[in-house]
Amino acid sequence: MSCELSNLIDKARLLRRDVVETVYRAKDGHPSPALSCADIVAALFFQVMKLDPQNPKWEERDRFILSKGHACPVVYAALARRGYFSLDELPGLRSLGSCLQGHPCMRKTAGIDMTSGSLGNGISVGVGMALAAKYLKKDYNTYVIMGDGELQEGIVWEAAMAAVKHNLDNLIVFVDNNGLQSGGKVSDVSGLMPIYEKWQAFQWHCQEIDGHNMGEILAAIEKAQQTKGKPSLILAHTVKGKGVPYMETDNSWHKRVPTDAEYKEAMEILGGMDCE
Amino acid sequence: MSSYKGSREAFAAAMMQLAEEDPRYVTISPDSMKAMRMVGFAEKYPEKFFEVGIAEQNAVGCAAGMAACGLVPFVATYSGFITMRACEQVRTFVAYPQLNVKLVGANGGIFGGEREGVTHQFFEDLGILRSIPEMTIVVPSDASQVFAATLAIAKHPGPAFMRVASGREAVIFDEEIPVFELGKARKLVTYGNDVTLMTCGFILSRVLKAAEVLKAEGINATVLEVHTLKPLDSEGFAAVLKATGAVVTVEDHNVIGGLGSAVAEVIAEQAPASLVRIGLQDVFPESGAAEALLDAYKMGVDDIVQAAKLAMAKRDKSK
Repeated sequence: MSCELSNLIDKARLLRRDVVETVYRAKDGHPSPALSCADIVAALFFQVMKLDPQNPKWEERDRFILSKGHACPVVYAALARRGYFSLDELPGLRSLGSCLQGHPCMRKTAGIDMTSGSLGNGISVGVGMALAAKYLKKDYNTYVIMGDGELQEGIVWEAAMAAVKHNLDNLIVFVDNNGLQSGGKVSDVSGLMPIYEKWQAFQWHCQEIDGHNMGEILAAIEKAQQTKGKPSLILAHTVKGKGVPYMETDNSWHKRVPTDAEYKEAMEILGGMDCE
Repeated sequence: MSSYKGSREAFAAAMMQLAEEDPRYVTISPDSMKAMRMVGFAEKYPEKFFEVGIAEQNAVGCAAGMAACGLVPFVATYSGFITMRACEQVRTFVAYPQLNVKLVGANGGIFGGEREGVTHQFFEDLGILRSIPEMTIVVPSDASQVFAATLAIAKHPGPAFMRVASGREAVIFDEEIPVFELGKARKLVTYGNDVTLMTCGFILSRVLKAAEVLKAEGINATVLEVHTLKPLDSEGFAAVLKATGAVVTVEDHNVIGGLGSAVAEVIAEQAPASLVRIGLQDVFPESGAAEALLDAYKMGVDDIVQAAKLAMAKRDKSK
């Protein structure tokens, strides 16, 4: 394994630690939806995206939208570790006066490019950002992470059609396909399936990957960047709660705070409390 | 006389001027190019005209994304499709992040939607938007005012909404002096302090007629045009309310949520006065010819005149 790859894998581990620690200390938040997209977030924030943490509004930066905004602890952790703000801010999540709102707010948090959290909307806003890049003749890409459950929102497909009409090859959308939503299995709650074929039918460039395999994530992003004339969809198969065994098998961790013992257990699995 | 065929044409003309002035001004169309008279704009500036199909939520979402990247996008279509179908996108992705998105709603009120019926008559738009923080809301009263208001909201940073009509609106203002001072209520008639008629939008022509009828009957009214519903110029008109003590609000909107509600709030908190609200009386209307519809739903000149007398009687009784 290359040094670069193992470094990114370790970053994802750190982000997972931060997620559990943040929710534990804040005594609120959504841990398992954040854990399922931790590897993708690590790849984007520590390798793929052009960013300048010293200049969060740098016009040439790549744009990022966490459409599944409830997973924000993992993005807040990535921003803190990239230096947008101190790691000490993380336990303030969801508390009065904190820069870290319960769902991302672009006016309050450095590095957040778009307010999000109301499901389905991130891809639509991403289409606008990608259109703006084309119009302004800028070469930044726009990356969006959606949940699979939010594909049930109609606006997703409105945006999917618009992105194809405008040939937005600068728009790269991940679906964090962990198979679960608030009320149960995505496949039980709605008639969404099959996901991959739907995006193919909408004429997107589609790839299907293991969303916890860093090599596959990076390769898929590279292929998406090289694709011309079409927006890209990366269907990432993931496990909700990935990295913390007791969360992987229990959907109640969608929004739940670990006890002291659960916190300790997670920290031991994710690399110990003294790490870093 | 106005050279515009109607207020939508005036909006399109203003967009042409803006496009020439500054590359940041672009338009997003949820298949509203023809409805909003933007065919000429799309032909002249195809790179500034973004068609997204019949999908208003996405149109507003895209506008938010564009504005976050420094553009000033206009989304123009029927008012209800912006304020109701895309309400959440307006609230959460435009108003909350204070993005520089301009929303233009046609068929506001029953006069604009007229023969189309309730599906295309939008008399809740202003009330919905007024309850959303950070929104600037303007309701111009004729085509040349729409032209001036379009330029005004374009240059005013932040989220803004403007109502336009469907082409049956009267010409009121001289085109050569399209003064439109965002956020300022203005006195158009100052016959006296017997009663204040407050209004916004295309129904202003009826209010001006009512002021003349009242004058002929010896009742001297002040007519106040409140073209900016938010931020409301309550400081500016509180003195007028105090001077007359009797107010009629006239709007082509449900009496709940719009100008009547806004003025009632000011009266209750700042300037006690008797109030009668002319507008749609919280009912669903029907199809019909524009002018006849306003008459049928009690927004006629005579209704305004009678309301003025009622407001004065209520004031005098409470003295």
